[in-house]
Parts: sequence; C-alpha cells; structure tokens
Amino acid sequence: MLNAYQLLLRLYPATYRAEFGEEMIAVFEGVRADCDRKSFAARAVFYFREIAGLVSGAFRENFHFRSNAPDVPFFPRRFTMRNEFRFPKSTPILMAIILAGVIIAIRKGEVIATSLPPFSQPVTPVHSAHSYLLPGVIEGFIFFPLAGLVGWVILFAMRRSGVHRLTDVASGSK
Amino acid sequence: MESSPLSEPVLLILMSLAGQPRHGYSILKDVERMSNGRVVLSTGTLYGAIRRLLEDDWIERFEERETSRGRQAYRLTSHGRRNLQLEVDRMKHLTRLATLRAATKES
Repeated sequence: MLNAYQLLLRLYPATYRAEFGEEMIAVFEGVRADCDRKSFAARAVFYFREIAGLVSGAFRENFHFRSNAPDVPFFPRRFTMRNEFRFPKSTPILMAIILAGVIIAIRKGEVIATSLPPFSQPVTPVHSAHSYLLPGVIEGFIFFPLAGLVGWVILFAMRRSGVHRLTDVASGSK
Repeated sequence: MESSPLSEPVLLILMSLAGQPRHGYSILKDVERMSNGRVVLSTGTLYGAIRRLLEDDWIERFEERETSRGRQAYRLTSHGRRNLQLEVDRMKHLTRLATLRAATKES
C-alpha cells in the first residue's frame, strides 16, 4: 500500500512533493499502523479516504501551482468554504454512470471496427441484432449499478476525508 | 479586520496547534479526538491545509532538536492566533444570539 501511496504522491507538483512528501509518507505510515489493528471495514474506509484525499489534493495543488490562483474555479466553494455550496449527492453517481456508458460505447465501437470487412469487399452483417442486444442489456444492468456504487463510495470517502469542508484561509480575512 | 467563517477542519487544526507545537500525525489524532471521531482528516487534506496556512502565515515550522524531515512540527503564529481568537469571538456571539432566540421562542 505504501508503494501505491508513493505512486499517487507523484500526482502532486514536484515542489510540493519536495516540501511535504516525506512528512506525508511518515504520517500515512503512522496512521496505517494504528489502522492495522482495526476491522476490515475500518481499514477499507481509511484507504478510500486516503486515496480520495490524495487525488483531490493533487488536483487542487496542481491547479494552484500552475495558475497561482487560491483555488479551483467553477466549484471553489465546494472545496473551500463552510457555508457550503453543495451539488446533489446524485451527481457523482450520474457522472460515474455516464463515464461507464462512454467506456462501454468505446469498447463496442472497437469491436465493431475490427470486425468490419475492408472497403473493397461488400458489407455483410457480422451478427444478428438479437444476439447482440441481450448481453448488452445484461451488461447494463450489472455494470451501471456497479458504477453507481463506486461513485457513492468515492463520495462517501471524500466526505469522510473532510476535504469538502476545507476553507481556503486566504479568503479568511479581508 | 473582518473575518469569514473558518471550516471545521481548519478551525480544529488551529485549535490543535493553539496549545503546543505539533507534527502532522499528532495534529490528525488531536483533530479526531477533539471532534469525537466526527472529523477524520486524510493526509492529503491535512497537508493541503498546512500548505495554505503556511503560505498565509497563520502557522510556521517549529525547529525541534533531532527532528527528522518526516516529523516536522508546526505552531501558530501571532497572526494565526489572532484569527483563531476572531473565530472564537464570532462563534461566541452566534451561540449567545442563538441561546437568546431559542429562549424567546420558548417563552
């Protein structure tokens, strides 16, 4: 897990890593040692929280590093202020479902593209529509709820990490 | 100086550093203890806040003897302490007002 943590740390800007990287690893190791004595569920929540915190932190720090702006535009309040601009809980779930749909569409497109005959040959159907429809529907019923569940878990981990309540202290005084 | 409300995690981090200098692990544990386990920060969230607090001069690095890079301690600056006091005053005012309003409603 430490390797995965170090790998995710590479998402941060190099200057940030040089300044805080070793400290973050040391703190992560300490908290993980405490967590090893807890239940499987507690450990799972801990790992999700750490991953969500690292990924969202890397996004914020990269934005800050590149633009020198105090926070990410469009949804700064989501990450910074306590008086809480919130998007609905369903948003990440819908986003995950849309992403899953896009991935499936790309995969199916690739399958169709590889099975098409060359331009010089006449086009003939490669399979019937019926034989293709049923697996697609079953796939949708399994894959989309799973994608929704993943979205919910990410949301839960982000909420537990406290990242949505962070205040940018630069805006703390006027 | 007018002050905007702080988020709960940032307030808890400042409160944690108000008593004594602490390093990252100690801050995480203290925040969890103070909030009765309700606020559990990830390391990414904690160091995002620390970076901003350092930049805005609310906290500073505290030189300890025989401190490795992995156990860097932080403490409040006078600027940070003043801002923490402003937040506490704001919350006191709100609490007093809420108590008064609630009592008025009941009577």
